[in-house]
Amino acid sequence: MRIVVGIKWVPNTQAVRFDPETGTLIRKGVPSIVNPHDLPAVELSLRLRDEVGGEVIAISMAPPPAAKGLELVLGMGVDRAILVTDRVYAGADTLATSYVLAKTIQKINSEIGKVDLIVFGQETIDSTTAHIPAQVASWLELPYVYYIKEATVVDGGRVRVVRELEEYLEEYELELPAVLGVAIRAFKPRPVTLSMKLRSKIEKRLIVWTNDDLKLDPRCTGLRGSPTIVAKTIDMPEVPRRKEVFKPRDAREAARWIVAKMLEDDKLRELLYRSLWGVRG
Amino acid sequence: MSSAIDCSKLCPEWPCEQPSEFKNVWVVIEADESGLSEASLQMLTPGRRIADKLGEKLVGVLVGYRVSHLAEDVIKYGADEVIVVDSEALKTYYPRVYALTIVELARKYKPSVIFVAGTKRGREFAPYIANTLKAGITADCTDFDVDVESRDVLLIRPPFAAILLAYIKTPFRRPQIGTARPNVFPVPARDESRKGEIVFENVANISEGRMKLVSRRRVSRGEVGIEKAEVVASGGKGVGGPEGFKYLEELAEILGGTIGASRKAVDAGWISEDRQVGQTGKSVKPILYIAVGISGVAQHMIGVREATRIIAINIDPEAPILSQADYSVIGDYREVVPALIEELKALKEKGPEAVEEYIKWLREIEGKR
Repeated sequence: MRIVVGIKWVPNTQAVRFDPETGTLIRKGVPSIVNPHDLPAVELSLRLRDEVGGEVIAISMAPPPAAKGLELVLGMGVDRAILVTDRVYAGADTLATSYVLAKTIQKINSEIGKVDLIVFGQETIDSTTAHIPAQVASWLELPYVYYIKEATVVDGGRVRVVRELEEYLEEYELELPAVLGVAIRAFKPRPVTLSMKLRSKIEKRLIVWTNDDLKLDPRCTGLRGSPTIVAKTIDMPEVPRRKEVFKPRDAREAARWIVAKMLEDDKLRELLYRSLWGVRG
Repeated sequence: MSSAIDCSKLCPEWPCEQPSEFKNVWVVIEADESGLSEASLQMLTPGRRIADKLGEKLVGVLVGYRVSHLAEDVIKYGADEVIVVDSEALKTYYPRVYALTIVELARKYKPSVIFVAGTKRGREFAPYIANTLKAGITADCTDFDVDVESRDVLLIRPPFAAILLAYIKTPFRRPQIGTARPNVFPVPARDESRKGEIVFENVANISEGRMKLVSRRRVSRGEVGIEKAEVVASGGKGVGGPEGFKYLEELAEILGGTIGASRKAVDAGWISEDRQVGQTGKSVKPILYIAVGISGVAQHMIGVREATRIIAINIDPEAPILSQADYSVIGDYREVVPALIEELKALKEKGPEAVEEYIKWLREIEGKR
């Protein structure tokens, strides 16, 4: 079984801080990481491979530094990785990104071997759209399903999955090839091992494809192939808040202050009267 | 109006279409055995506004099995017209079948805009619709507007960890597709007297031959849904462990609310995922949000923008939450929350007559400081 897993190299959004002096975003020096929500997808891919045999190929469309991220998942035990990188892919929205990924998967399918399963993390921490799995499924016209919590291969030709919606647990069976979006936190990723990392370095398991390999029409990739355009960005407007901060002498004073503030505040007084005494305030 | 598009400059995989061929604002309305999806009805609110700005019709697209009787309701919530596909082929939800049904309708009617509620299903099928039409899609919008000159819809969303707000448009492609999380917009007021046209459509048999539903069961949550709670007592990393949530439960109970959590508390396994508030969790809009041991990163705060008031309890005098809350107390929640529970219990005992006493006390200590 050949499994392709998608990886995104993203800025660590948790490390982004505001400059309180200027009120702007400090983007310089924000380290990049493998999108954390991709790691459960890698873990699921490895488990399925370990169960039924075959190989896991990680792919990423990104600038060259993303090689580091692919080296990391190779260190988890991924069999090979393909970095798809070219200037003409820069500035892509999700449609143009999914186009390059779908074409990469088709090339793997024809040149390396038949792809049975395509696995993605649910969403990325930097853009959080959750578009890519469905869009790749659309280009390849494959069945797909999101929010996977469990997956097993049945009879070699199908995958049985459990997924969770707001109020339902659903079990589906999909014919292969298929596309899966793995739920956030669904599978605990295995650690990176030094021996795996070294093995992949020595055996040159990371390869690079550019547009010389994929030969895509530049009108379909990057900024040009993106229907959406960012017209402008602004800093997120602040919600007006009262910002009253109290340093109490003890917990009792803290509690009294909170209750008094609630009673003084029209909106909260109303709520307190209702919840404590069932009457209008 | 935008000028004509030179199709030779576009990706040849895209159909050659002019934006001027497209008209009307669509809202995809999800429905099941329990009725219309509230999240879908919420999308009629921005839908109505954008349709009015464009001077076009607001159309509800109701797709499902045995849903025809619900079409009138969609009109009463503000649609001018409803397109209904009521088919046994849609009895079981499959993302591709659902998406391709709407794709087929969109190819026939050419709407200018499609709004989809960002329910779990909506987030699953909407990108397939967009991609099949080779149209742009913008997820998790917090607002929409119209660029008056070009008549492009502006889809406004917080990318990059909720610190920025981006205005996105798709000037060369139609329909312009956007999703918004549940509870970002209110359900429009229902108008019993509203009339509109209902159109029944049959879509050529689309079936999902390569995927089948094996089982489906309701997960009972029991408690009040966090999205609807008037009070949410929420715990973060600073709570330190699952035990801490017991205090928060008790506090929430007195105030008639429920408990929430930050991503870090969920990641740590202290509380279930359905309680998570923030960008990867839920958006809530309680009257009171109590943030306990929550530092206040942007990814969390985006989920509480609609809270009427925020009270923060945090031990760290430098925590960013303090400048984003209405009332903050610096202190150890292990002491402050039990004291607050006691104080509320005492107030409940004493009755409304005691209120004056608190206000008087507040004036005194504020006078001293």
